Formats: sequence, structure tokens, C-alpha cells
Amino acid sequence: MPDVRIEATINGRRIARNAKPHLRLLDFLRDDLGHTGTKEGCGAGECGTCSVFVDGVLLKSCLVPAAKAQGTTIETVEGLAKAGELSVLQQAFHKAGASQCGYCIPGMVMAATAALRANPFAGREEIKERLGGNICRCTGYQKIFDAVELARDVTNGRRPASALAEEDQADGAFIGANVRRLDAPSKVSGALKYAGDMVMPHMLHMAVLRSPHAHARIVSIDTSQAEAMAGVEGVITCADVPGVDGFGVFVHDQPIMARGKVRYVGEQVAAVASEDPLIARRALAKIKVVYEPLPAVFDAHEAMKSGAPALHEYAPDNLVKHIPIRVGDIAKGFADSDLIVEETYSTQQVEHAYLEPEAGLAYVDHDGVVTILSPSQNITHHRHMLSRIIAQPINKVRFIMSPVGGGFGGKEDMVYQGMLALMAMKTRRPVRLVFTREESIITTAKRHPSRTTYKMGLTRDGRITAVEITMISDGGAYGMSTEGVMRKAAILAAGPYAIPNVKVDTYGVYTNNTPSGAFRSFGALQSQFATETHLDICAEKLGLDPFEIRRINAMRDGATTHTKQTLKSVSLTRALDAAEKAARWEAGAPISRGTTRSDLGGEGTRPSCTLGARLAPSATRPKSEVA
Amino acid sequence: MAKRRGRGVAACWYGIARTATVDRAGAWAEIDDGGTAKIVTGVTEIGEGILTVLAQIAAQELGVRPQDVTIGDNDTARSPEAAHAGATRQTYMIGNAVALASRQARAALVEVLAKHWGVDGRSIKTAAGEAWAEGTNHKMPMGDAVHLAKSRGVVPLGSASFGTDTTGLDPVDGSGRPWQAYVFGCQVAEVEVDTLTGEVQVLGIWAVHDVGRAVNPRGVEGQIEGGIVQALGQGLMEDYRTVNGHATTPNLAKYILPTSLDVPHVTSVILEDPDPIGPLGVKGIGEPAMIPTIPAVMNAIYDAVGVRITSLPATPEKVLEGIIAKASRAKASRMAAE
Repeated sequence: MPDVRIEATINGRRIARNAKPHLRLLDFLRDDLGHTGTKEGCGAGECGTCSVFVDGVLLKSCLVPAAKAQGTTIETVEGLAKAGELSVLQQAFHKAGASQCGYCIPGMVMAATAALRANPFAGREEIKERLGGNICRCTGYQKIFDAVELARDVTNGRRPASALAEEDQADGAFIGANVRRLDAPSKVSGALKYAGDMVMPHMLHMAVLRSPHAHARIVSIDTSQAEAMAGVEGVITCADVPGVDGFGVFVHDQPIMARGKVRYVGEQVAAVASEDPLIARRALAKIKVVYEPLPAVFDAHEAMKSGAPALHEYAPDNLVKHIPIRVGDIAKGFADSDLIVEETYSTQQVEHAYLEPEAGLAYVDHDGVVTILSPSQNITHHRHMLSRIIAQPINKVRFIMSPVGGGFGGKEDMVYQGMLALMAMKTRRPVRLVFTREESIITTAKRHPSRTTYKMGLTRDGRITAVEITMISDGGAYGMSTEGVMRKAAILAAGPYAIPNVKVDTYGVYTNNTPSGAFRSFGALQSQFATETHLDICAEKLGLDPFEIRRINAMRDGATTHTKQTLKSVSLTRALDAAEKAARWEAGAPISRGTTRSDLGGEGTRPSCTLGARLAPSATRPKSEVA
Repeated sequence: MAKRRGRGVAACWYGIARTATVDRAGAWAEIDDGGTAKIVTGVTEIGEGILTVLAQIAAQELGVRPQDVTIGDNDTARSPEAAHAGATRQTYMIGNAVALASRQARAALVEVLAKHWGVDGRSIKTAAGEAWAEGTNHKMPMGDAVHLAKSRGVVPLGSASFGTDTTGLDPVDGSGRPWQAYVFGCQVAEVEVDTLTGEVQVLGIWAVHDVGRAVNPRGVEGQIEGGIVQALGQGLMEDYRTVNGHATTPNLAKYILPTSLDVPHVTSVILEDPDPIGPLGVKGIGEPAMIPTIPAVMNAIYDAVGVRITSLPATPEKVLEGIIAKASRAKASRMAAE
């Protein structure tokens, strides 16, 4: 198809360009015009990071063909700050602390601008409604609502412009002050470049061929047809690894690309680089991989049984790690108790869903230093591992951490940086890889799903005499952070309570599922979910208030932990007291007394959400007052 | 009544920095021309606000303003090791390293000023871009002080590392010192459950967390609010599913995340129990903020409708199933009694 001609006004400037007919408006803005403030988060209209105004209407530019831009007037986030001065709304985002990783923020600023253009007097509930199409994974939205309300009030003259300014700290006591985030202006204006926004001269684009099987032997890989394609500059497989292949946060059990067999659906098998990302993707179809499917296991309990398919030679029992904690004598502890409560808890696999999909740019510099720029959460460890994998001394490997558009533990694994390094070494050209949302979800680590069996013994007056906790977690196909997650889960499992007899066992197990890895709260979320729910059940049975049962058992200053460490200072009872007070808690046992309690619905709660949009008619004020 | 409300409580504890291993971080500091400052350390923002936190720490320790501080890129070939951005370790490990390096750079500048003014170095104060000797008329902008130092052949520099006194765990009984700093917290949740649909709305969370010392209280609140909403996602809706290893939730249309209409009002209460070991007293907040939310919400659901959710997430289907099962149990026991 011939190129399409696009004449449009973008951020007040006339442009006239030819564009490839398959481009989305998002690609045209980012790749052809360099307006990288507009981000791609999902490519499917779900997340709102790519929001722009087309003829004044807020649209998701990933859903708009570029050709539709013909004859339109477009505003992107870069157009909001006139002559470099941030708009009132952008300043309010800065002041309120409404940006964290910043990746959703350009789209959020556009949606919030649209909200206040539609109704300059919008209330908080209407603001929430109008931002409903934009996902933020960091902030919890509260500071974003605060920012939009602040901008509304400053624009309407209800708060002074000085409400947007930095608070003065003339005494130099900046520790403890609400200093505005230094990186916020670059985020609210779209100026900050994430790895997927960066380009280099002569840069290639990389695409990755992934396993369609959960467990299969690789009989052969034939890349010859792909390599012969015009426009293909390089093809790599595990055969291109010059050193000792293998990476992982604790155990180096994962090859840069599948070696001998694949262990999960989506595992990387080969990669292609081309100046044209379309050619790279088309070349993937020309790579012929012959697989011989192997028996697979998809359940952690099944994987622990003898005779289950083994994923890794070094671990015939599929065990990644077992962590035991032992204190006292649990048999005695249960014998001493008046009440024994048993329950089983389970948690599911969860995706980090940072708005910035994985991306990286690699090149070999003038001194032969293999350089990888990516939103890696652990460049120190990555350089150690890559140095061994590419058989280069440490100072010939350089990792640069680009701004991270959300991590939450999900960017600790070196899942793609190795491929980028190999391709840059092979082609001697800069290479960029940007994951699609689907690649990000299917192929990268998740939060460990878990199954915990719990047994707690207590005296009549609420003292815990013994706990026995066994947690089994599906680590998926590779070790990643499983060992550490099992360790933290175990250490913290029994909660911040002084318990004389403790037996905890956590097991991380290999299966052919999507790997599990590091995720904010790292195993402790799973094990403490069990403990804190269990305590509620015990409190009900004993007729104790939930704060009270925790106070009875709370570790205090000088306590010894379940790993036999002495803690000088323990703030738990202070936290319990403060929470009880802040929430105006009405004391009582947790006997399902919601219908009779009197502390509901007060300060600190939001109105309940009901069916129907909470939008005020747009003409709620005379037009002359509209900003 | 179709909608029922209830409340629940949960507490938490957490260890700061890397677990059951020695953690460490390094930083370089320079008081630069014009009274600005350069901090170089292996760290970049992952959204938590660490660049601002480090600038605040450096500014206070050096006597400049946060906006005068430039933080160098995280680059294994250009900056000292500060290891990874995770484990709720950035403010604790790198913040303390930056404080120590800044103190060293400041000491180099103070030594020049003390000689120049003929005063005891201990009487010299630096704050918000000014240096002065207490009890005297000696005072100059930090830019002039740097210029003076350089004219005496001194570049005011510092470097420091901060490490932890921690151990691995015994392989048999797990004993050991996995962390040197611990934090504690507690949250209360208020929910509304629709007994016709099983849908749960979380209307309010009161969150109390010990952070040691809050460098930027608004940033701490941001971590608490964000952590709570991530936890609500896992508690109520998020569910990555596979069938024979193939994802059935491979995109954001199928993998459901909390939006602006799903979030509760969050009231944060910041507790400060200073870390006795590090020079700043700071600890951390990133991960512990998430931990009490899910059990507090599940306990609140029980309070509201008498249904115990022990397997996550608490989808409307699961809650409704529990409500129906409870009703039929109650009916059966009524019939047995009759």
C-alpha cells in the first residue's frame, strides 16, 4: 500500500508528512514526530497512557489509525505546557505528589485536562468518573484526585496560585518536609524518556520468537530462511552465547534463550533484528523450530510427588527451596492450649502490571564495552551475570538504569537484557526491544501463588501457645526470586507475635507455569494474609476484640523473633493503638456484627459507588466562567 | 437489606533491606560550584520518590537546598554500587550512605571556613545555601564558600558506604539476624458488600505504619495509598490464570486492575520509631504498606456478611456463593430445630 499523506496541526504547529498506512496515530506521534510523551501501555485502549486530544476530543491514540489524523488538530501532553511553563493542572500534579513512576501520567494529565474542560467545577466523584479510563499502578489515585481538585480550585479562584508553590524551608530542615518531587515536572510534561522512548542512529528493532509449548524438547532450530530475508540484520539463538549461560536472582537456572528444551509457554527461543520492526516480526515466522512435547506439570503439589515430570536436571524433585523455622516444641505448645484452630489459605498468581512494558536499548561502545540501558531494578547483579554469560570482564559490561515506569519487583529478572547484548555484539549496531503488553504479561514473573495450611493453639485468655504453618508455592518454570520469597515468607509467617513454639516450612516448587518471582511484599503478603485472617477466626472463637488478641500476643521492646533475633525497639502496640484511635474502632469480638456496629460510614470513608455515571451536566456554570 | 457494611483489622511486620545477607550501598558527594551539589550513587527512581528523598537528605546534611542537588545516573560504569531498587531498602541503605558521604564533603568545606574565619569548626553551621559561624558576624553564601575552598586547593568531596550487620539463616532451625531494622503497622478496613451481587467495595482504610523517620511525609502517604490499592487488586479482582500453561488473561482487557472508581479513601498515620543503628533514623515503607490490607478487608467482609474468604481473590461470585451457603446452612439448622 502507498504511504498516506497527513496534513494536520499538532500542538499548534502545521505538519505535512507521508506515513506508512499501517501506523496507528500513537506510532505516528511517537516514531515519526518524536512526541514520545504519549506512551504505549497496552495497545488495546484499556490503560489510557496514550490519550491525546483530536479536534478537542480525548481519544486513545493506540486505537486511531494514523490516516485519521488528516486535517485534524491534535494536542499531545507536550502541547499543554505553553512556552515551557507547566499548565495549572500540571503544576497541581507536581504539588500534590500525584506522579510516582510517571508512565501513566501524561495520559492521566490529558484525561484530567479533559475532565476540567468538560466541567471546570467537577466534584471529586465526577473527577473519579472522568478518570475511569486511565490506569495508574503506583499512586492508588488519591493524590491524583487531590491534584485535579487543587487545579480546579486555583483555576476558579477558590484557592490562591501560591497553593501550587513549594513550601518554604528557610531553616534548611528538609528532612521531614513535603518537598515537591524533583522529577515531577519531567513526568507531567512528557519530557522524561523511558527506555522505549530512546533512539540511537542506525538502531535496529528486535523481535522475539517464543515457545508455544509448556514443556518440550527442542529437536532443531533452523534460522536460515530468516537470515536470508532482505532487511534482517541478525538472528540469535542460545548458540550465540559465548560464555557460561544461565541467570537468575538466586539460582542461575535460566538460559538467555531456551537451550535444549522449553519449560513454559512464552519462553524465548530466538530473536531477530531489523531496521524495520515489521520485517523483524515477519522474519520470526521463517524460523523453523521442531519440538518434541514432554509431559508437563501445572500444579505445585503434583510437582512434589515422586514420578512427576522434572523440569531441571539439578532438581529431580522439582524443589527450588525449602525454608524451615523452628522454635520450642510445637507438640508441647498444642498440648498446653485450650483451643486449636486449623484452616487452609490460598492466594493466586498476580501480575505486576506496571504501565511501562519491558524495554531496552543495547550497543557496543567505542571501547568495546557492551552497554545495556533498561529499566532494570538490579543493574549490579545483572552485570555480574552478563559478564559470565558473554565471557567478558566486568568492566567490559555496562548497565545503565533508565527511568523505571513501575517495577514492584517485576523488573529484577534479567529476562531480556541478555538477548539485547548478544544481538548488539552480533550486529555491532544499537538494538532496541520493546515488549508488547501481551509479551509482558505472558512471559515475565508473577507473584507466587500459595497454599498454606495453618494450625494455631491458644489458651482461653488468648495467648498463642503454638503455630504450625506449611506454605507451598508454585515457582513456575525458573527459579528467579523463589528462594528469597520463600525465605521472607517463612521468617515473617507467624506475624509480629511472641509465640513460644513455632514450626514454619515454606516450599517453592518448579512447574511448567509462568514463572513466579519478586513482587512487592515478597512472600510476606501471602503468609501474613493467612496469619492475620486466622487471628480473626481465633478472636471470634475466644470472644476477643481483634485489637485485643493482637495486643495480648504482640512482640514488645526487647522481644525475640522466631529466628531468635532480639529486637531493641518494637512499635507494634503503638501502631495498634493509633489505628484503633484513627478509625474510631468500636470494640467487640469479630462475630459478624456489621449490622449492629455504630462506627461505620464516618470520616475517612468515601461514598458508596452506585450504578450510573456521576457526571454533572457540562453547562453547570455560565460559559464566561469556563476555563 | 441488600447492602451490608463491616470492618476488619490486620497488623503486619516487615524487615528493611536485603534478607539474611549482608546488604551495602555506596555514594559519592561533592559540594559543587555556585553552592550546588552532586550526588552519585547507583540508584534511579522506580517511582517511589527516591531521587527527591536523596536530594532532601543531601541538602540538609550539606546545607544547600534540594533543588540545588543533582543526582547522577545509575550506571555500573560511572557510579558506586548501591545494588538493587527493591526490598524496601532505598531510603534506608542509600539514604544513609548519602548522609554519610555528605557529612564528609561538608567537613572538608568546614575545615577551610574554620581556618579562614579563625573559628572552631564546630561553631560553623550550613543551611539552605548559607554558611556561618555561630556567635560571630562571619557568614557567606555556599557558592562563595566553595569558591574559597577551591582557591585553597580543596574540592569538598565525600564518599561513604553503609552496610548491615546481618546474617544468613541456620539451615535447620532458621535462626539468624535477617535484618537490622524492622517496621510494624496496622490497618483497619471498612467495606460494603452487596448481598445480591456479592460485590465488595472498600470505602475506607486507616493505615498506620512505622517508617522510622519520614523524609518526605507526602511521599510516604503516596507509598501507603499505592500499596493499599495494589493489595485491593489482589484481594478483590486480579487473577492471572493459565490453562495447561497457556495464559487466559494475557492482556488488560482480561486481567482486571483497580481503577479510579474502585479505590477507598485512605487515611494514613505515619509513626516514627527511629532506627537506632543508621545515622538518619530512617527505615522504609514501600512493601509493608501492602501487607495488612488484604486480611483487613477479608475480616471486614466477614464482619459485614459472615462469610470467611480464605482463598483470594474475593470475587463477587465467591462472596455470593458464601452468602448463599451461609443462608442455606442457617435454613437447615432452623429446620433441624423445628
